[in-house]
Amino acid sequence: MSPKSVVIQAEPETPEADLLDEVHHRLEGAWRPEKGFIGWLSEVRHTAIAKRFIVTAFIFFALGGIEALLMRIQLSRPENGLLSPDLYNQLFTMHGTTMMFLFAVPIMEAVGLYLVPLMIGTRELAFPRLINYSYWIYLIGGLLLYSGFFLSMAPDAGWFSYVPLSGPEYSPGKRVDVWAQMITFTEVSGLATSVTLIVTIFKQRAPGMSLNRMPLFVWTQLITSLMVVFAMPAVMVSSSLLAMDRLIDTHFFNPGEGGDAILWQHLFWFFGHPEVYIIFLPATGFVSAIIVPFTRRPIFGYNAIVLSLVATSFIGFGLWVHHMFATGLPQLGQSFFTAASIMIAIPSGVQIFCWIATLWGGRIRFRTPMLFVLGFIAIFVAGGLTGVMLAAVPLDLQVHDTFFVVAHFHYVLIGGAVFPLIGAVYFWFPKMTGRMMSERAGKWSFWLLFAGFNLTFFPMYQLGLQGMPRRVYTYLGESGWTDLNRLATLGGLVLTAGVVVFILNALWSLRHGAIAGDNPWDADTLEWETSSPPPSYGFLYLPTVHGRHPLWMPRENQPVVVGLQDNRREVLVTHTLDAEPDHRDIVAGPSIWPFVLALVTGFTFITVIFTPWALPWGIVLAIIPLVCWFWPRSDMGRVILKEKA
Amino acid sequence: MKQRPVIDVSELPSVVFGSRAPIWWGVVGLVTIESMGFALLAAAYFYLRGGASEWPPPGVINPPLALTTTALLVLLASSFCMHEAAKAAKRAELGRILRWLIATAGLGYVFLVLRGFEFASMSYEWRSHAYGSIVWVIVGIHTLHILTSAVEKTIFIVLFIRGPVEDKHLTDVATNEVYWHFVSLSWLVFYVILYLEPGFFRP
Repeated sequence: MSPKSVVIQAEPETPEADLLDEVHHRLEGAWRPEKGFIGWLSEVRHTAIAKRFIVTAFIFFALGGIEALLMRIQLSRPENGLLSPDLYNQLFTMHGTTMMFLFAVPIMEAVGLYLVPLMIGTRELAFPRLINYSYWIYLIGGLLLYSGFFLSMAPDAGWFSYVPLSGPEYSPGKRVDVWAQMITFTEVSGLATSVTLIVTIFKQRAPGMSLNRMPLFVWTQLITSLMVVFAMPAVMVSSSLLAMDRLIDTHFFNPGEGGDAILWQHLFWFFGHPEVYIIFLPATGFVSAIIVPFTRRPIFGYNAIVLSLVATSFIGFGLWVHHMFATGLPQLGQSFFTAASIMIAIPSGVQIFCWIATLWGGRIRFRTPMLFVLGFIAIFVAGGLTGVMLAAVPLDLQVHDTFFVVAHFHYVLIGGAVFPLIGAVYFWFPKMTGRMMSERAGKWSFWLLFAGFNLTFFPMYQLGLQGMPRRVYTYLGESGWTDLNRLATLGGLVLTAGVVVFILNALWSLRHGAIAGDNPWDADTLEWETSSPPPSYGFLYLPTVHGRHPLWMPRENQPVVVGLQDNRREVLVTHTLDAEPDHRDIVAGPSIWPFVLALVTGFTFITVIFTPWALPWGIVLAIIPLVCWFWPRSDMGRVILKEKA
Repeated sequence: MKQRPVIDVSELPSVVFGSRAPIWWGVVGLVTIESMGFALLAAAYFYLRGGASEWPPPGVINPPLALTTTALLVLLASSFCMHEAAKAAKRAELGRILRWLIATAGLGYVFLVLRGFEFASMSYEWRSHAYGSIVWVIVGIHTLHILTSAVEKTIFIVLFIRGPVEDKHLTDVATNEVYWHFVSLSWLVFYVILYLEPGFFRP
């Protein structure tokens, strides 16, 4: 950018109301979604797609929760006959797979899809059509898994599908193939979303929002997306190799022909451990975003928190082998991965102390979002400490495959991710819908969830220490595990009640919640500047910022951006580091072809389970929607260099 | 009425190249993802090799080095053509873009024919043993990349012949260079790992 091309000037007058109205109508015209059912399928607005993601992910959360509840009821007394061993295997596999692949990662990214463009002050994501494709492919993957479940083809080899159990010899039939293909769908979706978020964050921040002024929430989305880019290829590679072993007789994991079963574990956990942080880091972004308005003070240690996030993302790639201590490792390997696993507690601890320091001496407003943040801190610390314990090889070997491990990762995943997530829903619901959620029901849901969670999972620590194994459908009365299991099941019911109150509260508030206004919490970041819910174009005039808390530090002469054309989908692109205006870009408008491409991809990946020939056919078929997707359309308002011949 | 300062961006350009353009970052993201996939396949190759008593397994005959080296050189030459096409795109010379794109895609298709001979001259299949599996998958996935990328070039060629060509297509062609270099240079690595190293450096 040559500095001359940006002119800071004074508008002669504050725009009149009817001028604002006119700008509003022109922008509405440019950003309007297309009408009808086809228009609905062609949607590209980030707010609309993100809401679809969020609702779909919560439906999968409910399904995964029902599966968990069934397992808890099965375990409530010894030698219970409610579930057959086969069904129990399917249920724990479905539960883990659903929660990890169809709920946790998609919903964290979905909240980012909704909020990131608003928080950085732009009108739309960098690649809107890709996000539409990403949603449909995710939905098809989820539907495939659940169709399999209802056709008795649900995977039953655990959410990590260890070979040789999941290989062609011990898992005949199509169950594991359904799992492997579902992975491909959700990972394609996750990768597409991540790249879109990275590019949007790097290139479309409001003028003045240099990297060191970016909201911490946006930092967490950026770092998480970068982790996805490096981690998720591993699970795509491993699930594809598994599918090939099963479908076209390759021998990657077959020791009889030179393959290696442990290779599966390496490839899977190289993805699987970063995955935990991919779920956890966005949750820390929720916490940092919520804690600021409810303590009415800037976050303590912004730089320390950002550096902790970066450190976590790096160390997160260096400890996957701690899932494999029981496979027999050289001592140096054990020591290295123990050290790395303990080390990652340091950046997590730094973040916790920064939040505590922010709370310290502040005038905390104990509204529902804040309660969830405080609940998160309590539960996550308890879960994180057992993580440090598990990093030690002798302890790990002792409790490997017991309920101790189950308790640990539910403490860090539910405490570390679901509590902040529900807090985030209470916090941003007014922005998304224009209405507040009920505070009273909110408090009820918090206390039910907090009590229910601890009642369910704390006994599991003890059960694990007493030797109760995971993934076993029942136990004997003489084992002495009955009372604690009964307690855990009771806790599960309380936990469920909390979730039900939360969901009912959200549904009720959609219609009957109090009108929120633009900024009901008096928060500091840009998404609260625009109306609730935001208009289709995001901001009437793109904002500029001069600090980390733009809404708390308004300046008389803070300029706004003018000069973007308002008759087409134009966004302002800024420099990666310092966010100075660079050029204007036109983002893609609605198109049916991403949906068609998702159908073709879905058809290909599903039929490939039955015949390898689906792959070449699918690739040929995919050319049509791909070409139509990218073929120039006259209504984009671009400069034509060579007319159509 | 009060005055309000504004930043007027109406004079800023709407076509830019390189790391200024969002699409460039998108392609770099894609390349990163796929590089990660290739790197993991290479890691799997070495992991399997580490567990093998003999590598490649007895009886394995790989394609003749003359064939694989020629194919590699064709691919590197196509990378040069793509670079020229991108240079022409930055100067908005539509005729030159078209010519160099045709050269790139043509060399891509020549490579695919040579790749066919490469597959035909392997003495093993993907189902023969783990070595066969990993080699076939690496070579196969790379072939898929060249194929889809050559088809993409062909579509660009049709677009540049038929029109309408928009200003943003200049950025698209220039950015495409990054991806094409990725698919051709990644083969340099696998050529060394798969064909050169196992027979060449060891007696």
